[in-house]
Formats: sequence, C-alpha cells, structure tokens
Amino acid sequence: MDSTLDTLSVPKTETKKKTKERTAQPYWNPYLSGFGLGLVLLAAFVIMGRGLGASGAYSTVVASGVNAIAPHHAAGNAFYEGYLGNGTTSPFKSWLVFEVLGLLVGGFISGALAGRIKKTTEKSEHISFKMRYVYAFIGGALMGIGAKLARGCTSGQALTGGALLNAGSWIFMLMVFAGAYAAAYFVRRQWL
Amino acid sequence: MSKLFSNMTTQKKLGLLALILGFFAVFAGSPYETNKITINAKDLALMAQKDVDNVSVQQVADWIIKGNFDFRIIDTRSPKEYADYHIPMAQNIQLSALLNQNFYPTDKLILYSDNSEKATQAWLLLKAKKFKNVYILKDGLNAWKDKILFPKMPANPSEGQMAEFNKIKEVSKFFGGTPQTGKRGEQGQKKVKKMPKLKLPAAIPQGAPHKKRREGC
Amino acid sequence: MMAPFYKFGLFGSEVSLIVAFIIGIGFGFFLERAGFGSARKLAAQFYFRDMAVFKVMFTAIVTAMIGLFYFAWIGWLNLSLVYLTPTFLWADLVGGLILGVGFVVGGYCPGTSGVACVTGKIDGYIFVLGLFFGIFAFGEAFPWIEGFFNAAPMGQITLSQLLDIPYGVLVFIVVLIALGGFLLAEKVEKYFARKDAEKAL
Repeated sequence: MDSTLDTLSVPKTETKKKTKERTAQPYWNPYLSGFGLGLVLLAAFVIMGRGLGASGAYSTVVASGVNAIAPHHAAGNAFYEGYLGNGTTSPFKSWLVFEVLGLLVGGFISGALAGRIKKTTEKSEHISFKMRYVYAFIGGALMGIGAKLARGCTSGQALTGGALLNAGSWIFMLMVFAGAYAAAYFVRRQWL
Repeated sequence: MSKLFSNMTTQKKLGLLALILGFFAVFAGSPYETNKITINAKDLALMAQKDVDNVSVQQVADWIIKGNFDFRIIDTRSPKEYADYHIPMAQNIQLSALLNQNFYPTDKLILYSDNSEKATQAWLLLKAKKFKNVYILKDGLNAWKDKILFPKMPANPSEGQMAEFNKIKEVSKFFGGTPQTGKRGEQGQKKVKKMPKLKLPAAIPQGAPHKKRREGC
Repeated sequence: MMAPFYKFGLFGSEVSLIVAFIIGIGFGFFLERAGFGSARKLAAQFYFRDMAVFKVMFTAIVTAMIGLFYFAWIGWLNLSLVYLTPTFLWADLVGGLILGVGFVVGGYCPGTSGVACVTGKIDGYIFVLGLFFGIFAFGEAFPWIEGFFNAAPMGQITLSQLLDIPYGVLVFIVVLIALGGFLLAEKVEKYFARKDAEKAL
C-alpha cells in the first residue's frame, strides 16, 4: 500500500507542445501537499484567529463592480453592502482580497518551479473546446451561487470549518461531495 | 521495530502521528475550556494600587458627546437596575456572562456599577484573561449622577467656577439631567432627583456602533 | 504572547493584510503542488480515478484540527477567539449541493480556479467569469433569497455540541475516518486504474 508519487496525475493537455518548454514535473504526493496546506491553515488560525477563504474576495470584486456602475442599487442591497463596508475604507483592503492575491502568486511560483505554466484548456478528447467553455461558465456560475448561499466555498467552509469541527461546515462538505458525485455522471464526457 | 519505522514513507509516519495524537485527544477534555486563568499578581497589584485603569465620568461624557465611540460601555449591575437607568450606549452584561462574550482582548471596555465594586471585580476577571484595554468608571453610576446628571453649583462661585459650571450644565442637559443650581434653596435640593428617561436625544446613536467584523469566506 | 496573535493585539489591521498575502502565497503554492490547478485532476475525484481532492482536503483538515486541539489544550491558543462561521442549516445544505454540482461541471472551485488562471488555463478564466456572474446573480436575487439564506439559524455550533460527543473523541473519530478513507481511496484508485486499462485493451 505504498503510494509515493502519484502516477495518475501527469496532466493531459490538448495544446501543441512547444519544444523550448520545460517538461511538466509530476505533482507532489497529495498527502504531503495536504500536510503543507494544513500547516498554512493552522498558521492562519494561530496568527489571525481565522481560517482561509476565497469566494469572499471574488464577491468583493463583484460588489465593487456593481457599486461603480450603479451605486444606488448597490447601496440598497444588503448583500453588496456587506462587502462594500461603510465607505470609510476601500473594500479591497480586505483580508480575503489580499489572501487571494497571495494565492495567485503562490500558485504561479509553484507552477513556474514545476514547469507547469502553459496556455491550455483542461478537457477530455470527447468534447469540443466550445462545450468545455460553456460548461466552465455554467459550473462557475453554480459555484458562485452555491458558495454565497453556503457562506463559503471549499476553502472557507470545508477546510476551515472542517478543521474547527464546525457543524455547518461538515454538513456542507458532505453535500458538496454528494452533489458532485451525483452530477458527475451527466458531464462524464467532459472528463473521461 | 525501529527498522519498521524507518522503512515507512513520510506520509505513513504522519498518519501514525495523527493516529497517536488523535487517540490521546480522547482523554484530553474540551479545548474550549477557558475557565482556568493565570494571573501576574504583581502587575495587577501595581495597576490596582496606582489606579491606572480608571476613567472619570467627565471623560466618558465627553467621549459620548464628541461621538467618539471606539469603546464599549458595560453595565455590570442587574437587569432591573439596568432597565431603570443606564448610561447611554451601555450594554448590560453580568459578571458570569462577561467572559462568554465575543470580545477581542484588544477591545476597549469601560466597566461601571453603582460605585466601583462590581466593576472592579469584572476588571480583575478581564485583566486575568489578558484583556488590555479595560477601564473602571471611577465611582460608577453614583459619580455619573452627582457630576453629570445633577451637578451642583458651588455655594459662592467665582467667575471661573461659574464658567466651569455653565459648561457642565450643557453636558448635563445633553444627557437629560437637571443641573442643581441651588437657587431654589435647601428645599429644592431635598427634592427627589428624577432620573432622566432612557429615551436619548437624537445625537446619540442607539446601540453600540461597532464595526462588523467580517471573518467568513 | 497568546494566540491568535492578531486578536491579542500583536499587530494591527494594516499588517494583517501583509499576513494575508503571505498566507495566501502558502495556500496557492500547496494547491498547485497538489495539482489542483488542473480541472481534469480535480474532476477525476468524482469518477474515482484520482482521489487527490479527498486526500489533500482531509490531510489538511486533520493536520489543522490536531494542531488547533493541542494548542488550545496547552492553553496557548484561545480557541473561542477563532472565528466559527455560524450554521444555517438550509443554506449550508442547498449551498453545498449546488456547489458540488458546480464543482464537477466547471472543474474548479474559487481557490483552485485562481491557481488555474495563473498557470495558464483558459477554462480557468472562463470559470472565474462564471463565478462573477453567479455571485452577481445571487446578489441581485438576494432580497428574495434572504429569507432562505437566514433560515434555520443554529448559531456558532461545533459537531461536538450538535452530536453531544466530547470534542477530543470527535477528533479521534475524524482521524480514523480520514485514515480509513485514505486506505479505501488507494484501493479504489487501483481498481479503476485496472478497469480503465482493461477497457483500453
């Protein structure tokens, strides 16, 4: 039962390979990556007294966008208001926004070190690019709705709340897996 | 045995560690048990002696009038006494409930009771919990009544004292109090001082206007 | 100094933003290390081909959970100062369901889509556009959804309180579930790898 480097995980891509590119290295062992992630999460708890998150930062962007285009409308909406604050500081001076910016940097660093930066589209051979993009958009929209409804996404609710044994987070996590496995059959052409 | 251990991959070692730690967790009790405290007795004694954490009623009145609300006022008396009258913006929190609140140890808290006894006891509890900005309203509600709500004009005021008193009169009126000017003579002063109604002038916002701490995802 | 440091005043809100950035770097780094910038790898979880999502998530949860437990136990961390998202039963249930569907349809989640974008995935960018749209739709519909959003509030409640099981016992149970799940995951991966190989012949 020895699982060293996960051999199933070399990424399959659909773009032409440029000869000058570095060959993509295999991914790290998921248990070790998970351990690293867990330490980062623990650091957030110990230093800040809060966990990680992601969807909140995207919400700030949306709320700011709405506010820029239609400030009256944004002001009357309790949801946007929550992300815009009371006007004394910029909504972008939020912990989550800075954390997600760091996430982009960290992801880039890891990708660059492993030669995994490449313009590609992730999909199987069985569907077209266009279909993949349609699914990606729809999936993103559903994810956005789900994350806002549940007050968090896999990072904020599942990881953070999971480690805290938060009741709502564990319920959420179970439902995420349930929903994903249930819907998997219907979009299997996209992936298999 | 040691050979078995060194042959394990890193993740197996981590798994074993998790198993051991998880097992011992069963016997460890709740991590939310925050009933034990450690006190730095010397520091606290020194602070208590020097009245370091006192704040006067005039100061608090001043802050409220100026709209400077970066603190919370906590009334440590019983709910009935709180309902009868409380300092504007004060929250009613009993001693036993004080530690269960969602306060940060850096929050600025001003505690008061009728004199200072309950407030001082609350101060000790919070200080022991490593709260940094906890203050006692010196002489509590009694001082508030005496100096803010029903300030007495000195017997034969000088010009300076008169000017002072006029300022205090304004403060008193702001809070709905009745300045005692003493012109009504002895009888007037023996009249029962009516506590101002809890309906506050529009200038003071109802409820503590504290920043919503957004910490979710 | 006691933890959480920020809530004991070790640094102010300005510095906390820098802390956020640094922690974010760690977060994004390990996500990409695990291969979560790839929708194919993420989605493979839901076809039992690659259980990395489960492995990474539960390893992270167990690591942080044990860390929190013992730091609190020795009295160094004041656990009640760590923010617990309040539980709203219906919103959590339905939100989770929708999110799960979105996960396998879109192939990413908010965090991993960020990693995907910076490593060049075009579908990652489109997913993010979808995210913005979904959040916008939610915001616009909020006045009507607000009731459901706030339904069945249970406050800040842990599994320990909900199930009336001692916290430490629950920690051990979670560890057992995770380790058992990992053993099972390895078997499942091998099984489907074999099945796929057989099909290919």
